[in-house]
Amino acid sequence: MANKESREEVFKKAKDIVNQLAVIIRTAAIHDPGNIAVTTAIEKFTAITNPLILSEGELVLELGGEFFYLNEARIRYPLEYLPSFDFLVREFKKRELGSIVFRNALKSEDMQSFLRAFIASASSLESFEALAEEIAHVSSLGVGRLRKIRDEEKTEGSSDVRKMIKKSYFNAVSYTRGVVSKIKSGEKVNIKKAKRVVESMVDLILEEEQLLLGMTAIKDYDEYTYHHSVNVSILAVALAQRLGLSKRALTELGLVALFHDIGKIEIPSEVLNKPTSFTDDEWHMVQKHPFWGVRAILKMRGIDATVARAAIVAFEHHMYHDLSGYPKTRESYELDFYSKIISLADQYDGMTSARVYSRIPMPPDRALSLMMERAGTQLDPILFKFFINMIKEMGLVYQSDSAFLDRPKVMVVINSKGERTDRYFVDLTEKATDGKFQRTIVKTLDPNKYRINLAEYLL
Amino acid sequence: MELLDDIRVAKEIVQALLKAKKTFRMYPDTNPMYAKTIEDTNAKFRNFFDYKDELTFKIKQNELFCDSEQIYYNSQKEDNIALFFFKDGLREITFKKGFSVKELEDFLKILTVDYDREVLDDDVVTLLWERDFQNVKYVVDEAFLTEDEDYESEAVREVKDKASDGDELSKAYEDSFNEEGVKDAVIVPLTDKDLHTIVKEIDKDAHDKTGKLITIIFEMLYQAEDKSEYEDVVHFLNSIIEFSITHGDLETALHILRKTREVIGGPAIADDARKNLNMVFSFLGFEATIKLLGELLDSGIEINEKIWDEYVAFLDKNAIQPFITILGELKSIPARKNVINALISLGKKDIQSLAKGLYDSRWYVVRNIIYILGKIGDKVAVDYLLKTVNHSDIRVRKEGIKALGELGTPGVFPALRECFNDPEVQIRTAAARALGNIHSATAKSIILQRMTNAVFVKTEFSEKKEFYEVLSRWKDNDVVEFLMKTFRKKVFFKRAFNDENRACAAYCLGLMGNKDALPLLHKAKESKNKLLREYVYSAIKRIEYGQ
Repeated sequence: MANKESREEVFKKAKDIVNQLAVIIRTAAIHDPGNIAVTTAIEKFTAITNPLILSEGELVLELGGEFFYLNEARIRYPLEYLPSFDFLVREFKKRELGSIVFRNALKSEDMQSFLRAFIASASSLESFEALAEEIAHVSSLGVGRLRKIRDEEKTEGSSDVRKMIKKSYFNAVSYTRGVVSKIKSGEKVNIKKAKRVVESMVDLILEEEQLLLGMTAIKDYDEYTYHHSVNVSILAVALAQRLGLSKRALTELGLVALFHDIGKIEIPSEVLNKPTSFTDDEWHMVQKHPFWGVRAILKMRGIDATVARAAIVAFEHHMYHDLSGYPKTRESYELDFYSKIISLADQYDGMTSARVYSRIPMPPDRALSLMMERAGTQLDPILFKFFINMIKEMGLVYQSDSAFLDRPKVMVVINSKGERTDRYFVDLTEKATDGKFQRTIVKTLDPNKYRINLAEYLL
Repeated sequence: MELLDDIRVAKEIVQALLKAKKTFRMYPDTNPMYAKTIEDTNAKFRNFFDYKDELTFKIKQNELFCDSEQIYYNSQKEDNIALFFFKDGLREITFKKGFSVKELEDFLKILTVDYDREVLDDDVVTLLWERDFQNVKYVVDEAFLTEDEDYESEAVREVKDKASDGDELSKAYEDSFNEEGVKDAVIVPLTDKDLHTIVKEIDKDAHDKTGKLITIIFEMLYQAEDKSEYEDVVHFLNSIIEFSITHGDLETALHILRKTREVIGGPAIADDARKNLNMVFSFLGFEATIKLLGELLDSGIEINEKIWDEYVAFLDKNAIQPFITILGELKSIPARKNVINALISLGKKDIQSLAKGLYDSRWYVVRNIIYILGKIGDKVAVDYLLKTVNHSDIRVRKEGIKALGELGTPGVFPALRECFNDPEVQIRTAAARALGNIHSATAKSIILQRMTNAVFVKTEFSEKKEFYEVLSRWKDNDVVEFLMKTFRKKVFFKRAFNDENRACAAYCLGLMGNKDALPLLHKAKESKNKLLREYVYSAIKRIEYGQ
């Protein structure tokens, strides 16, 4: 059993292990693993790992979802490590590689063997098998296949988690509704509570991202405004956690996102819910809501860093990446980073929700392709890449698996004879005895077109 | 370890935490007590972890439990550690064996935060959450987050009520055979350049956002359409100024003020807007704003002199009174110095307001105001200052006399002359120095009048010397003649007094460097009177060698 100090050491060094592994693999992709550039990088790597292997017995570097874990502890990393982490996640997934076990004293030759196998496996049809076979003789290294979902209990018997997620989601909606009513009646808004509400969402996004994101897919609520605010908050936080933002920053972003549309409370509901086009006066009024948002936020309480941030986002969320939106400013202007994230989430949720003027919401694919056209003009093109990848992973499924994006767990509601059936779940990663997948998605349908109420199945 | 030992050590840990909570509030982290507290508390934890891997406290409103045993009870609200945790929803807290010294210190800091302060948006749970301890786990009851108990069930029921139509579902099934096949979910690759751009942007994003908020508020001003919108803008700018002062950031406040001045002077805004915007400058002088400024000055945060001067230049005369108020409250000398300098600059705009400070009940404030009035040098102040020579505190009287001397209008002479009758020698000499400062013929005549008075002969030598020293400022014939006459004067009675006068006259001639006096001084250098001899020697030396 490792002592307390060495455990701390493992946590501290974990990020360096991932970073250096990424460096080695990148270098080995250019040079032969026996080249001095690679062996020097390997030496640096073993200098970090070997003392830890000695104290811990073994080191297991495991990929779970979008995160790496070292000996079960989630590895947190500063922003400058993001490229390395992202690179390694992609390389692992490409090979269905879930874990690498380092044991005994790691030798440079062992790492060279691993690298040769690792590079070669990329072009193999059965990447993981090829890799595992090639390094079977290496005593100090082992590999494990990418698990579908890291924690088994999350797949089966996950009703408690779902309940928690539902509760957290509706708490947020209910809180947002309360805030609006308080602002309207001039009452004080409890920010401590807002923070706790958002923290609970951030926790769920870090642990159960897909389930909470799934809640944003249910768009058939009458109280659009409140659900929209919460959905934008969830989508923004989910995107930002992929960028490696700290928990504190995620909370701030989530909080700020909840208030992004607060200026709309000043628009009369008959204008807001008008099914036909706006008159010039009405449009003028709608375009003022970013100003009113700033006003509402600044009047809510004294100025501080979060309030400043919330006001900035309320002002900017319709300005667009190329500043072609509204409001127009007199002075030169640069959009805030949070605004760029939130305007992506805002556009996506707006487009995929039923509105008074468009009862049938846009299917996610259509919304994303429209947003793709806007990337670089209305939307930040790089953030959009993160966003589209996130949404594609999300899909319209009961539970997706970030390891096998196109093979989620799905709920069957109609059987192969076309009859409605009691719901049951099938896992699309299940293979038949011949090694082929039992079921595969061949077509997708827009639920809105057939007025299929997803909430009936997901809630 | 026996169960009873567990409980005993757990109780000791709670007591150590309570003690640490108090110590952390009292001592800064540089104090040895601070380090000792961590060390002691850590030792208690280590005691426990020598035998067990985890320590869990179950939390009730006024009690803590460990292994179902009550280890803490307090029915009071004050210093109740159970209630402290309980009120924010904590129901269980577990410390794991790996709980490090650094984690302990951070945990104690969280215990010490003053959560009752309204400005603080964090509660215990939020801070524990943000710190993300590896070895502290907790269970939270989030019931209080639910605003409306029935909201969730109602919302779910509502959406479920809109259940899918079976026919539509069948139609979807039928249609699916004719739909286009799915395309693979393509993940858009992120290039290294993309990732580096994002990292750079996130890095840039860490900078303070107040400047941006100011830009937005000015945009709101440009697009404001009515009075209430102008008023809002002014209110927000004032709030940011307040926020900046509170955070020791006068530069941001200045940014607003410069921009406000620029916008007021430019053509970009309506007259109404301009009128409202002027209120930003008035806000600077509000009592509450100046009070914040005082707190900043007293906080020890170093304030750049240029920034301070520029900030003060934006203040209006309404700041005078609040500045006088805080002048008596500030604790540090540099802070008072800054306020005095500010009042010297501001007081010029309204002497009358500044002079109201002369009625302040605190003598030291009155003395400062006198000093400020003297530095401003506006002769209007004389009328107000004349009253100060009768102030009950001698330190004030002295400062008042000095200021009158600096201002030196004809009106000050009667008051200064009157001071010669004051029983306090310090006042009499201060009046003499003040007259010396004025350096006019009238002033000289008043001094000479006093020095030729029979009473003067009998005054203390030190006082006489002060008067002669003052007299040396006039290097004219009247004075030389008076000094020569005094020096030559011989008496049969009270010779000692006369010799004191002669010594003072020699001293004065020396100060004046009067070479004509040398023969006379040489004659007296062998005088039997030691005092006279010494002063004559000094005077000769000064005149002959300039020493």
